[in-house]
Amino acid sequence: MKILLLKTLRDLRATLAQSVALIVIVMLGVASFAATVAAYRDLDTSYNRTYEDLRFADVTFAVQGAPESIVEEILVLEGVRNATGRLVIDTGMELPERDGETTDPIRGRLIGLPVPERPQVNDVLILEGRYFNSTDETSILADTHFAEYFHLGSGDAVSPLLNGRPVEFQIIGVAASPEYLMASPSRQELIPSARSFGVFFLPLEVLQKHLGLEGKINDIAIRLENGADEQTVVRRVQEKLASFGLSATTLRADQPSHANLTADVNQFRDVAYLLPSVILLVAAISVYMMLGRHVRAQTPQIGLMKALGYADSAVTGHYLSYALVIGLIGSAAGALLGLPLGSWITKMYAAELGIPIIQTQFYPDLILEGAALSLAATVLAGFAPARGAARQTPAQAMRFDPAIAQVKGRVSFLERVIHLPLELRLPIRNIFRVRRRSLTTALGIIFAYILILMVWGLRDSIEIMVSRNYETVERWDISVSFASLQTDSTGRDIRGWSGVQAAEPVLQIPVTLRTDTRSEEILLTAFDPGQTMHALQLPGGITPREAFAGGRLLISTGLADLLDLSEGDRVTLDTAFGPQEFTLGPTTDEMMNAVGYLPLDEIQKRMGTPALPYNGLWLDVDDSQSRRIKTDLYRLPGTAGVLRKSDLVADIRGYMGLFYLLIGIMMAVAITMAFALLFNAMMVTVLERKREFATMRSIGSEIRRIAMLLVTENLLLWLLTLAPGLLLGHWMALQVGTAFSVDLFTFRIVLAPSTYVFTAAGIFLTMILATLPAIRRVSNLNLAEATKVMN
Amino acid sequence: METAPLIAMQSVGKTYPMGDLTVHALRGLDLTIARGELVVLLGPSGSGKTTTLNILGGLDRPTGGRVVVEGEEIARFDERRLTAYRRTKVGFVFQFFNLIPTLTALENVEFALSLTGRGSSLIRRSRELLALVSLEDRADHFPSQLSGGEQQRVAIARALANRPALLLCDEPTGNLDVETARQVLQAIRDLNRREGATVILVSHNASIAPMADRVVRLHDGSVAKIESNPHPAPVGELAW
Repeated sequence: MKILLLKTLRDLRATLAQSVALIVIVMLGVASFAATVAAYRDLDTSYNRTYEDLRFADVTFAVQGAPESIVEEILVLEGVRNATGRLVIDTGMELPERDGETTDPIRGRLIGLPVPERPQVNDVLILEGRYFNSTDETSILADTHFAEYFHLGSGDAVSPLLNGRPVEFQIIGVAASPEYLMASPSRQELIPSARSFGVFFLPLEVLQKHLGLEGKINDIAIRLENGADEQTVVRRVQEKLASFGLSATTLRADQPSHANLTADVNQFRDVAYLLPSVILLVAAISVYMMLGRHVRAQTPQIGLMKALGYADSAVTGHYLSYALVIGLIGSAAGALLGLPLGSWITKMYAAELGIPIIQTQFYPDLILEGAALSLAATVLAGFAPARGAARQTPAQAMRFDPAIAQVKGRVSFLERVIHLPLELRLPIRNIFRVRRRSLTTALGIIFAYILILMVWGLRDSIEIMVSRNYETVERWDISVSFASLQTDSTGRDIRGWSGVQAAEPVLQIPVTLRTDTRSEEILLTAFDPGQTMHALQLPGGITPREAFAGGRLLISTGLADLLDLSEGDRVTLDTAFGPQEFTLGPTTDEMMNAVGYLPLDEIQKRMGTPALPYNGLWLDVDDSQSRRIKTDLYRLPGTAGVLRKSDLVADIRGYMGLFYLLIGIMMAVAITMAFALLFNAMMVTVLERKREFATMRSIGSEIRRIAMLLVTENLLLWLLTLAPGLLLGHWMALQVGTAFSVDLFTFRIVLAPSTYVFTAAGIFLTMILATLPAIRRVSNLNLAEATKVMN
Repeated sequence: METAPLIAMQSVGKTYPMGDLTVHALRGLDLTIARGELVVLLGPSGSGKTTTLNILGGLDRPTGGRVVVEGEEIARFDERRLTAYRRTKVGFVFQFFNLIPTLTALENVEFALSLTGRGSSLIRRSRELLALVSLEDRADHFPSQLSGGEQQRVAIARALANRPALLLCDEPTGNLDVETARQVLQAIRDLNRREGATVILVSHNASIAPMADRVVRLHDGSVAKIESNPHPAPVGELAW
C-alpha cells in the first residue's frame, strides 16, 4: 500500500499543473462558500446582539402630540415590558465649515431622549464622549454615521433650524442607535445617506422647550413581554393613543433600518448560499470530469497494476486516494482562505454600515459541509472510472490506447461531399469524433459562462435599475418636503427663484394599505395627473389621467404581486385623516415596491381641505445653482428635508460599493475558476494527444501549425458553446435575481448587451491564454520519447 | 568515380544525464550508408539502435562527432531547419504506428503531404501512396477501424509522402503478429526497391537480417560488426 501511496504522490507531481488547477477549483468553491456563509452568520449575530444590548423597540407609535404621562399608562398595559416616550422631528440643519468650505444644510432628525436616566427602549451606545446629564442645555449627541461622514466629534457645533431659526448645539459625543444601524430616513427612503441625513439626540426637555412643546411627546417605543401577543398589545396601545392623532404604528419588521438590514442580510444570505453553491457545484462537476479523464488515460497503468497482482479494490482505492488528496488539499486550502476572508468581509461590511457591535466566530460546520461536498465530488470522480478500468482484464487494459479508442464511427456522407481543408477538417473531427473529450471541455466553457454571467448579471441589473429609476422615472432635480401642509404661495414663490425652472406640488404621507388579509406600510404620493416630474410606468400606452380616472389608487407592480392585488380590487388606506377606501387602477412598474399614487384633487376631496393639499415640491433646476437652491430651501420655515437627486444617486453608488466588493470577490473567484477549468481542459487535451502532437512534429509540422490547429479547435468549441453558454448563463443569472427580490423593491435581472459580448470575448481570450501553456508543452515535448511510448 | 554516401556518421557520441549518473548511449559510432541501401540495425537493448535512429531522424542531437546527411551537418541545425529536415528528407515508421486518430487512412497520408504541398493533387497522390501499400480500399477508415498491420502500412505510406531520401523504421514489426509483420516488411522492401528509398530498419529480431543489404550489429553504443549481404533474401523466406 505504501508503494501505491508513493505512486499517488508521484502522479500528482507528474501532473502538477493540472493537479494544482483542480486543487484551486476545489479551494475556491470551499473558500467562497465558507467565507460568505460565515460572514452572513456573523452579521446576523452582530445585529441581534446590538438589538439585545440596546433594547431595540418591538413596536413604535407615532402621534401628533401626547402628554408624557401617557407612557406611564402604556407601561401598565398587559404585555408591555418597557416603554419610552420621545419627541422626534425632522428639520434642516446647518453644519460647521468643512475644509474651509461651507457645507450644505442637511436634513436632521432630532430625537429627544429622557435625562438623566437612559431610555428603556432604543437606548444609544456611546462610542465617544458621554451621555447627557441634567444640566445639559446646549448638548447634543451625533449618530455615528453622520459624525464619521462629516468628521464631527466632541466639541464641534451644529445648528438645527428650530422654528425657522438656527440654534447652536455642542456635540458632546458620538452614539449608535439600534433604530439607525442603517440610517434610512424612512421606509420609502431606504438608501442611507450620511451626506444628506443625520440623526441627533438631545435631552427631551431641551427639545420640547425649543419647539414650545413642553411636556409633549410624539413617539412611543415599546418592548413586549416575552410571549406577549403582538397584535393584542398593539391594539391596546393604539386604543390608548387614538385620541392623540395616532398616525403610524411601526412593527419592528417594518422599521426602516431593521427592514433595510434584514433585506440586506437576507440578500447576503442568498448570495452566501446561492453563488458559492453554484461555484462549489461547478467545482465538483469539473473535478469529476477532469479526474475521470485523468484516470481513463491511465488505463494501461491500471492493467499493469492488475497484471502485477493488485486486487480490483486496491486499484480502485489507489485512484480514490488520488481524488482524496485533491479534495483534502483543496478543502483545507479553501478553509484556510475562506474563514479569514469571511471575518474580513464581516468587518468591512459592519464598518461600512457603522454596526457598533461585531461578533465573528469560527464555524467548523461550514468547513465540514464544504469539504464534504467537494470530497464527495472528487471521490466520486475517481471512483467511477477507476472501478470501470479495474474491471477490465489486465491484457485488455494494458493494450488500451486512449487516443485511438476514443474515436468512434465512420466518415459521414457530409464529410465525403464537403471537402474542407485539413486545417479545418482536423479540428472539426477532433470535436465531433472525440465526443467525451469535447463534451467535457464544452461543459467547462459553459460553466465559465454561467459563473461569469451569474455574477455580472447582479452588477448589471443594479446599474440598470438605478439608472432607469433615476433617469426615466424620477425626473426632478430637487425634492423638498415640509413639516406641514403648504399654501399656494409657497410654490409660487419658489417657482420665481433664480435657477428654478419648474416646481410641482406633491403630497407625500405614510399610510397603511390594507386588504382583507394583509397590510403593508407604503408612502402615498399625490400629484396632478398632468405633472412631469415622476413618470408613472403604466402598461400599454395608458396615460396617468386615464389610470387615475374616477379617483383610483395606483400601486407598484411589485406591491400588487406581493399582496396578490390587481386592477379593480378594493383596498383601504389607514391615514391620519381616517380610513379611506379606494379602487385600484393599473399598476406602475417601478423599482420601489412600497408606494402608491393618487391624484391631488382626490386627496383634497377626501381630506376636505379648501385648497389642493401638498407638503412637498419637485423642482427642475439649473444644475449650476442646485447647491444654492438647496441651501435656500432649508432656510424656509417648516422645511423638513431637501434632497438633490444627484446626491441620492451618488449615495446609492456609494452604498453599493460594498455590494460591489462582494461581487468583485465572486467575480475574481469566477474568473480564476474559469481559467483553471479551461487550463485544465486544455492541458488534459494535450496530455491525451501527446503522441499525436509528437508525431506531427516528427514528420515535420511546425509548432505554429499545431498551435493554429489547437486555436481553431478552441475557436470552434467557443462558437459551439456560445449559444448554450449565454443561454444557461442568462438563465442562472435569472435564478440568482429571483433570490434577490425582496418586499421593499423589485429586482429584475437585466443583462446589458455589452455584458454578453465582453463575457464571450473574455472566455475566448481565456481559452487562448489557457492554450498557451499547452502549446508550450507541445513545443517542449521530447519527440524521441513521446513517439515511442503509448500515452 | 565513387559517389558520396547518403549518410556519414563519424565518432558520434551521445550521453544522457540520469540523476547523478551519465549514460553513454553512443560511444564514437562510425557508420556510412549509401543511397538506396536497406540496412538493418541489430543489437540488444541499450546498444544504441534507437538513439542512432533518433539522431539520424533529427528527433535527438548528438553530444559529440559529426552526422552528415546528403552533405549537410544536421547536428548543427537549429530547431527550424531540423523541422524542415524531418519534413523533406526523412520518413518515420514507428513501433506504435502513431497515426492521427481523428484522420482516416487517406487523410493521414494527406496530412503529411500537406506539409510540403497544396491543391487537389494531394488526394490523388495520397491514394497512390495507399495503393503502394495495398490499402486503397481502406482509405476512408479511421485508425480505430484498421488492424495493426494496416495501421503500420498507412504509417509507411505516410512516411513516403514527401519522397524522403531516408526511411527510418523503429521496430516496425514489434507490435505485430508474424503474418502481419511479413506484410509490413514486404511493403518496406518493395518501396526500397521500387521507389529507391534508403531504409534503415531497427529491430531486436535477428531473423529479419537476411532481407537487408547490410546488417549493422551494435553493442554498447558502437558498431560491433557490419555484414554485407550480396543476395538479400525475399521476405517470404524469412524464418521467424
